[in-house]
Amino acid sequence: MMELLYPSVSLMELVSYQFFQNAILGGLTAGFACAWIGLFLVLRKEAMIVDGVAHTAFGGVALGLLMGIDPFITALGISTVSVLGISHMKRKGLAESDSAIALMLAIGFSTGLIIISIAGGFSVDLFSYLFGSILTISRSDLLMILMLGISIIAFLTVLHKELLAITFDERGARMMGIPVNAISTMFNLIVAITITLSIKIIGVILVVALIVIPALTALQLRVSFAKTVASTILIGLVSVVVGIIISTFYNVATSGVIVFTMVVIYLATAALVRGRNV
Amino acid sequence: MLNRDVVIEVRNLSVSRSGVLVLKDANFDVLKGDYVGIVGPNGGGKTTLLLAILGQIPRMSGSIRLFGKDIMDFDEWERVAFVPQDAINFDVNFPLSVRELVSLGKLGRNKIGRKLGRRDWDEVYAALEFMGLSEVADRRIGELSGGQKQRMFVAMALVRNPEVIILDEPVAGIDAVTQERFYQKMSDLNQKRGITIMMASHDLSAVFCRMSKVICVNKEVNVAEIRPDVDLEGVLRKAYGEHFHFVFHRHECEGEFKA
Repeated sequence: MMELLYPSVSLMELVSYQFFQNAILGGLTAGFACAWIGLFLVLRKEAMIVDGVAHTAFGGVALGLLMGIDPFITALGISTVSVLGISHMKRKGLAESDSAIALMLAIGFSTGLIIISIAGGFSVDLFSYLFGSILTISRSDLLMILMLGISIIAFLTVLHKELLAITFDERGARMMGIPVNAISTMFNLIVAITITLSIKIIGVILVVALIVIPALTALQLRVSFAKTVASTILIGLVSVVVGIIISTFYNVATSGVIVFTMVVIYLATAALVRGRNV
Repeated sequence: MLNRDVVIEVRNLSVSRSGVLVLKDANFDVLKGDYVGIVGPNGGGKTTLLLAILGQIPRMSGSIRLFGKDIMDFDEWERVAFVPQDAINFDVNFPLSVRELVSLGKLGRNKIGRKLGRRDWDEVYAALEFMGLSEVADRRIGELSGGQKQRMFVAMALVRNPEVIILDEPVAGIDAVTQERFYQKMSDLNQKRGITIMMASHDLSAVFCRMSKVICVNKEVNVAEIRPDVDLEGVLRKAYGEHFHFVFHRHECEGEFKA
């Protein structure tokens, strides 16, 4: 049975709590960035890169906790190396995309496990990175998430047309004089940052959902690119807010509820679109 | 003829792909305002020639100059637009409207991160109207017919205000009426706007009726002006073989033939 965590608290009161404000602000920032980045990744058929890099970042978190460094910094470093590694292997023809991702995932996660056993087993901290801990993010965590989130959104705002052209037709974009390599490398770095900041919110295991499901849902609508971007972001934001509120009231895992909300919206959209086309 | 600028200059060009010689010692000029048809059998090297001119594949020997600049130093790609053969084979589920795709033509190396202004959009709408696509501007690109897709990519090329448009077999797989309309549009671009056009095509009648110059490619490259006094059949035989007979009725051109 689910029990109410705050049986006598109204939503208005909940909003006044700082932990809740932090969660909503952090969640909205991560949801916004993840959804927008996710649309490009899904269209580039690179969605699973997120899963690979997130698991690699887990190795980085374990390393940070062992060395007493902020795990965010080590995770960001390892994610960056991982995403650039996958892209390098693909570009040089060393491995297909899925094999390169599998290789990186294996390297990162196995290293993480070795480090954990050296450190004497799983700690609460480590669990919070595996499954996310949005309700416990501090003001300093929030500040970091906001800063990085705004940088990611600024990057996408400025370069989203170029990214769209590269995603649609890389060779054509190159011939139009768009600096494809430079923009792709920047995009990869942004992907690494987005994944790392989302790990704190939703955890290593489910970050792929936050990035992929809003885009998959919006793509079913079969509308223009501008409307697809707007719908993707809206679905990401609504799911995060609904997930945080429901999980706070009912005391269940927030990351689980956020992803479950996304899945419900995905299925409802699929049913509606199907109904419309019959 | 002397006062016309040379847009593309090819000298002693040889290209090999995967160790096989595909183009041998090609020499020709494309002048400003030319409408050039590139013909030849499948696998004869038409696409290779176009890609070499665009600097997309390495040369074995020889030189290519675009607007007087060696291809290795050429960087004014906004002056040249290319519509590849496989342009229309995109993912039909890609979430783009026709208007949005055509607007991507406005991007380029000097415009990174720049927002499209009112004037840019005016040019996008003008290109859509010119190519007869105004009514489908808000449709998804995957919903268009083959002919509309081709015209959409030409519209995308047009918003770049190019001086040269290079097309690789743009009407392959499109019905005859739609093909004819497409050729008419390209003639308009060439004659009314003075855009130099280079088009690979299998449609010999269209090439001889509408274009000013023909380049026959079958490893060897032969060039001829399209004029009544030129032995075009002889030129074609060099590409297609001695057994080739080209039956050409000038009246089929309905006055389009430029004497």
